[in-house]
Amino acid sequence: MQRLNFSDARHLVARTALGQEWSIVEQLQNRTRADAVNILLKTTANPTPALPPMTPWNKIMGMSNHSNTGKRNARMQMGRESVRMKQWWLQHLLTTKAPVQERMTLFWHNHFTSSFEKVEQPKIMFVQNQLLRDNALGNFAVMLRKIARDPAMLVYLDGSLNKKGKPNENFARELLELFTLGRGHYTEKDIKAAAIAFTGWGADRAKGVFTYDSSENEGKKVKFLNQWVESGDQVIDVLLKHPRTADHIAEKFWHEFISYHAPPAGTIRRWGHNFRASGYQISVLLKEVLNSNEFWDNRYRSGLIKSPVDLVIGTLRTLPYLRPPTEELVRITQLLGQDLFDPPNVKGWAGGKSWIDTQTLLVRTSFLNQTTRHSKADAHIERSLPNTDGEKVVEWLLPRQPALSLPTTPGKLRLVKALVLDPAYQLK
Amino acid sequence: MNRREFMQYASLAPLVGSVPNVFANNQNNANQALQSQDRIVLMVELKGGNDGLNTLIPFEDELYYKLRPNIAVNNSIPLKSDMGMNPYLKALLPLWKEGDMAWVQGVGYPNASRSHFHSADIWESGNLDGRDEQGWVSRALKNNQLNLNGIVLGDNNLGPMAGEQGRSVAMKNSDEFLRQTKYLNKESFDTGNDALSHMLNVQNQINLAANLLEDKLKNARPSPIRFPNSSFGRQLSQIERMITNGMQLPVYKVSLDGFDTHANQRDVHNNLMNHLGQGLASFVQSMKHHKLWNNVLIVTYSEFGRRVQENGSAGTDHGSGSVNMVLGGAITGGLYGDNPNLNEDALINGDLAHSTDFREIYATIAQRWWKRPSPWGNQHRPVMFV
Repeated sequence: MQRLNFSDARHLVARTALGQEWSIVEQLQNRTRADAVNILLKTTANPTPALPPMTPWNKIMGMSNHSNTGKRNARMQMGRESVRMKQWWLQHLLTTKAPVQERMTLFWHNHFTSSFEKVEQPKIMFVQNQLLRDNALGNFAVMLRKIARDPAMLVYLDGSLNKKGKPNENFARELLELFTLGRGHYTEKDIKAAAIAFTGWGADRAKGVFTYDSSENEGKKVKFLNQWVESGDQVIDVLLKHPRTADHIAEKFWHEFISYHAPPAGTIRRWGHNFRASGYQISVLLKEVLNSNEFWDNRYRSGLIKSPVDLVIGTLRTLPYLRPPTEELVRITQLLGQDLFDPPNVKGWAGGKSWIDTQTLLVRTSFLNQTTRHSKADAHIERSLPNTDGEKVVEWLLPRQPALSLPTTPGKLRLVKALVLDPAYQLK
Repeated sequence: MNRREFMQYASLAPLVGSVPNVFANNQNNANQALQSQDRIVLMVELKGGNDGLNTLIPFEDELYYKLRPNIAVNNSIPLKSDMGMNPYLKALLPLWKEGDMAWVQGVGYPNASRSHFHSADIWESGNLDGRDEQGWVSRALKNNQLNLNGIVLGDNNLGPMAGEQGRSVAMKNSDEFLRQTKYLNKESFDTGNDALSHMLNVQNQINLAANLLEDKLKNARPSPIRFPNSSFGRQLSQIERMITNGMQLPVYKVSLDGFDTHANQRDVHNNLMNHLGQGLASFVQSMKHHKLWNNVLIVTYSEFGRRVQENGSAGTDHGSGSVNMVLGGAITGGLYGDNPNLNEDALINGDLAHSTDFREIYATIAQRWWKRPSPWGNQHRPVMFV
């Protein structure tokens, strides 16, 4: 049995957890691939920090009903509470003992997107976030059905406006294009049919729950992907039977964990098949991916660009630098192009090479410079670094050899700083 | 190495690690190249899918009011041939009267995609499969000897200028951009994988743009023109500052977001029209003040138009066939393309049929404005607005 060396273990951790904490990398080296993956995916308690206070929806509605000033105040109140929710999640990402589950929560947030910008109500965005967390490594079919009934999603994609005689196609379209089949596997007629089947589905914002109003349902059979359906649930049944759904998720896993280049068709067929055969168990698919030869192939190593969360949260979890206040982390992740709870559009963050553009490269460099600048805490930071030699430090922090030359003057802190500022540090 | 060779060398992305320093020594040459390219395009992206029928309105058509009982615009400003302009664009009316405003109607492409992302990719790449990483501007301006083609303000989306050969830079704000570049690595490095070559390419583009901005803006004077205090207004005011201080790049891009009006469209859309009109009016005023108006062409685009019939939420769903507005001191104003036909049998699944391919507009810009070959050869004929 082939066993992981230190660099293999770092590769696995950097792509599945948040950063590459020394203790986890150490723990996984010298194990077999399968053992290491099982240890990494072992269920870990993942309690979230206390929630920030949130104004009840009725009160917000009351404020907005009276005047334009009231409306503006209500909006500003929601805005402030949204920022606190962002701080809340970043704080959790920074401290959780279940980084793999949290990475997957973020992955699903980028699949089943919703945003404060449209939804405006932190409470139901939290409900959705917890739904994604609870199901992050659970069952995709279950999660899909729950998402279709999720109040924030129904508001975000106008599902709650989809009524008898006046269908709104927004949710139906994204359900097909983004959540399940992917573009090219359905027609405009299928979207119209699905929208009709979902009429009457809605949300009670005050209670934060799903509602179904049968008087707003069309109550008629429609032909959807060549099958007769008469309810939203039957639309989802058809989608879950369609092989494209599992393949589409397998493709997204490929891009998340292996490469942003196109996957080999055979790999996706195999993963998609096994995912569907497992009844959509997400952990089955993830183990398949992480045990695959492709995941370990040198050709794909160090070929992914770190996301802003990888870069910011990963660095702060991995290295003992001073942590900026969470308000500051919100601002930095926004500037880096990954504003949690506010993806740019329903397709989410494009990721890949687009993480680095002429704006974000500058912000990445400034953030890392700020983080590693000299401070009174230097001596303490130096003492908190793992007790090992320089060569091992390079192997720990970079997925490939440094792009720029390293300092010739000795000093572990100086070396770490040079590695963090090296272009290769942006990769994983 | 002569200047021409140098510029070509400088434009080969993976090789330009050393360019910022070399560039500094060749400032005069670089400026000459820029000045010869004094035909500027400002692209205005209307994000979310602008409702063309409520922008340029068929106000004499009964069907228009019948299909849009809640959202029809009743007080459009008549322009010509039964078509009127949204009243919230009134700040731009003088341009129509001066012949500096053109509208291209019925713009689209075959088998229109209703996906925001796919359709935006098609509009920006000029390729119907939408898979091309190169934007159409990057292709139109390739080999043009400039080391910087354009600047995008507002969001990170290079859009039409995308691609490793796009030679364009996106920034939120030029001052902050300059402040941040001091931290950036200036050295070249061996790449070895394409994520790293991408980073080196981005690094070099930033360093080039920073050198140019620093040189041109260091003595910039405040503009005599006031811009609206909005995100859109601020984007335009920064571009105005660059252009009027001698940074005459071939292309700039700004964007205005919020056009995905599925519900309660009326106020939202009018408000957007107002932002668009006021912002562009200030920009045009400045170009005229600086005697640059004949060198500038402004063109709007949006990923698609909207369904002809309003939906049940007093909004509109994704549609096709829309309008583009073109402004410029040197253009031939007027209406181009066919007026929209709202008869049921003329619609395609409830959407306007397109009569002008969007690439005809872009081919016009490439050939008749930039005097460069069209990226599509002879496939798309120009529209004669310029």
